[in-house]
Amino acid sequence: MLEIKDLRVSYGQDVILNGIDLELKSGETLAIVGESGTGKTTLGLSIMRLVEGTVRGTIRFKGKDLLSLTDSEMQQIRWSQIAMAFQNANNVLNPVYTVLNQIMEPMVEHRLKSKEEARDKATELLRHFGLRENRFSAYPHQLSGGEQQRVLLAMAMSNNPELLILDEPLSSLDAASRAEVANLLKETDKHRTKLVATHDLDTASKLTDRMAVLYGGKIVELGPTQDVLSRPRHPYTRALIRAYPNMTTVKDLQGIKGQMTRPVSGCPFHPRCTQAIDICQTKTPQLVRNQERHVACHRGGVITLMSTKNLSKSFGSLKAVDSVNLHIEAGETLALVGQTGSGKTTLAKTIMGLHQPNEGTVYLDNVKVDNRGKDFYKRVQMVFQNPGESLSHRLSVLEAVMEPLDIQGVGTKEERENKAIQVLGEVELPQTQDFLHKYPHHLSGGEMQRVAIARALVLDPALLIADEPTAFLDASVQAKILKLLLNLQEQRGLSILYITHDIAAARKVSDRIAVMLEGRIIEEGPSNEIVAAPKKAYTKSLLNAVRI
Amino acid sequence: MHIDLKKEIRESGPGKTGLIILLLMVGVAVLAPVIAPYDPYQQSTTSLLSPSWHHWLGMNHVGQDIWSQLVYGARTSLLVGFGVGILSTLLGTVFGVSAALVGGLYEKVVMRIVDAFIVIPMIIIVILISAYIRPGIATLILLLSLLSWQGGARVIRAQALSLKERGNVAAAKSFGANHFYIAWRHIVPDLGPILLVDFIYGVRRAVFMEAGLAFLGISDPTVVSWGMMMRDALSFSYLNVWQWWLVPTGVALSLTIIGLTFVGHAAEPVLVPRLRGVEIA
Repeated sequence: MLEIKDLRVSYGQDVILNGIDLELKSGETLAIVGESGTGKTTLGLSIMRLVEGTVRGTIRFKGKDLLSLTDSEMQQIRWSQIAMAFQNANNVLNPVYTVLNQIMEPMVEHRLKSKEEARDKATELLRHFGLRENRFSAYPHQLSGGEQQRVLLAMAMSNNPELLILDEPLSSLDAASRAEVANLLKETDKHRTKLVATHDLDTASKLTDRMAVLYGGKIVELGPTQDVLSRPRHPYTRALIRAYPNMTTVKDLQGIKGQMTRPVSGCPFHPRCTQAIDICQTKTPQLVRNQERHVACHRGGVITLMSTKNLSKSFGSLKAVDSVNLHIEAGETLALVGQTGSGKTTLAKTIMGLHQPNEGTVYLDNVKVDNRGKDFYKRVQMVFQNPGESLSHRLSVLEAVMEPLDIQGVGTKEERENKAIQVLGEVELPQTQDFLHKYPHHLSGGEMQRVAIARALVLDPALLIADEPTAFLDASVQAKILKLLLNLQEQRGLSILYITHDIAAARKVSDRIAVMLEGRIIEEGPSNEIVAAPKKAYTKSLLNAVRI
Repeated sequence: MHIDLKKEIRESGPGKTGLIILLLMVGVAVLAPVIAPYDPYQQSTTSLLSPSWHHWLGMNHVGQDIWSQLVYGARTSLLVGFGVGILSTLLGTVFGVSAALVGGLYEKVVMRIVDAFIVIPMIIIVILISAYIRPGIATLILLLSLLSWQGGARVIRAQALSLKERGNVAAAKSFGANHFYIAWRHIVPDLGPILLVDFIYGVRRAVFMEAGLAFLGISDPTVVSWGMMMRDALSFSYLNVWQWWLVPTGVALSLTIIGLTFVGHAAEPVLVPRLRGVEIA
């Protein structure tokens, strides 16, 4: 029914939409999802031909190219066949008309109905959208935001359009009204083709079958709504979902690093992307279809950063790590949970190459790791359990944090110093000369662990293995360190393998949980599922043990 | 646990005494040209003189001033001593630490060599070799060092094995550090006290050996040495020259060795903290 090809919209120098391709079949509902300013509204306005900027490309509506129609031809289609419910109600409603007159207007104007018929129809619509009858003759400014929204929806529906464009249709409604209106739009109006522009994932989930994620004027991911929401493939989609609270969220909310910018070249998301490579800066990725899903990413969506295959490590007859298969995606936290002696630390050390595995392989960036050289350690770093031990008592704070840079031979001494000082700032430690020249025994446990974290981050690793990073700290310091790790993940796109015996802490910081028992991974899955519906008795006992 | 070597020595009576003796000896050796009134090699026709204002300890059989020889003898003795101390500790550190860090076949080979040398009595080898090559000071230092690093290497390896399991070493490895870096930055600094004790024992052994070899007459005869002086003095034991020739030399040698022993003994709790006994806070 609607076919958009290479749609480009710009206001002067600002490119708002940069080559949008979309297809909408009759009766289909599609969500356009993205942060504020990604061009969702512009897309709707372009279809309505109400956009003020320069529009190029084609928008075919039932075979007709809307962009090549004359104004009067477009007038025929607008509101009668394609209607739009605007987001900003205040500017759209005419302040000198009552609500009822307002809705009659397009019907009368398009000469579709007589005045009486129009009045009946308008009354019916307003009732349908749940506006109380005593408000019908009110002026727009007398209505609440929610009521205005209902009026706008009624108005858009007044001419029974074939294509309905809804811009943030539920945003000014409270939760109860939201469910009610969503139901009206979805269930009782099933067959109408709808395009829903929203930043609200809940709205998208309630109203649509498919969703397109828009970023920087381009579609970065497209697929069935529920599928995209539960298994996002594009880094941006995943970040967006992570930032969105819902009832099953267990991990703390995380934002997306940086501000939305519109880069001159390359993938629009690359400045904020946590897995960007060189090509992302120069070449714009195309939307590539993989079964039901379309993803525009040079790396094919979120990549698997590290994985292990049948990794085993024995000490004598003790199988400390027994055929472990794990994978960690770029930018996610995997919590490895298990009791003391279950082989968690051995697994971490084997991955790090501090133990030689008896069997199995480790893959980094899908490449088998044979000899761990400096390159490997630039990508993978570890924070050890006891900071008091892992920091040499002979090195000052500055020397300790500089040590990895010294070993790797990065830059000049001054550059290394500056880098170390900068990272100390990132972990929220003082950068004063006094502090830089303190020795570990002058520091508190929390400070020591921050220094250890700074030291692990100074090489800008992609994966941080944190082995019980808070084991020696009290609860309030633990909270701060865990928050710090989450912030670092948001800022740097760090993948974290978080090792802990504390499943309560794990659920707050991790995307996925793997439960380890006697060297084996017995259960693995998204944190919310493991916590809400554990399959193994051992996991249940772990959970029961922490319920206070 | 931090062990403060300085404190360890300062708080022990013999340790303090030993340190004073040692400093005295080192002072004499360093200032030899100032202290000695004559050239110790200068021969004269006035042999076997009794002590006088001009020659405090008299003259020897070829007319050399004994006091000057005694003073310069301290130089030889301590030069060999410290030279061997440094070199053998260095060798012990290199082999001990590398064996601990590298492990595997290398460690086995090195440690078996160490065992072999410890079993063979060193004095016999030294005498045999010295008898053939008549070593000068440099060669003697080299020879003694090559034959005496093994005991230290064993202790150092044991300590390094324990140090390499520490968290800071694991952390350094996880930054991509090689063995050399780990040894230099993380193992050797923490070996400090042990190295010092090993060094002191090395010095003591070498001072003793040097004197012994010279006494047996199998060292370089052109170098003034306490051992050689004692040998020469002994051959004139039928005269009364031994009183100012043999006795002062023997006392100087004994004092040096006693000083080193005292310092070493005071520092030993560093190696075996059990020796420390109960500390009263």
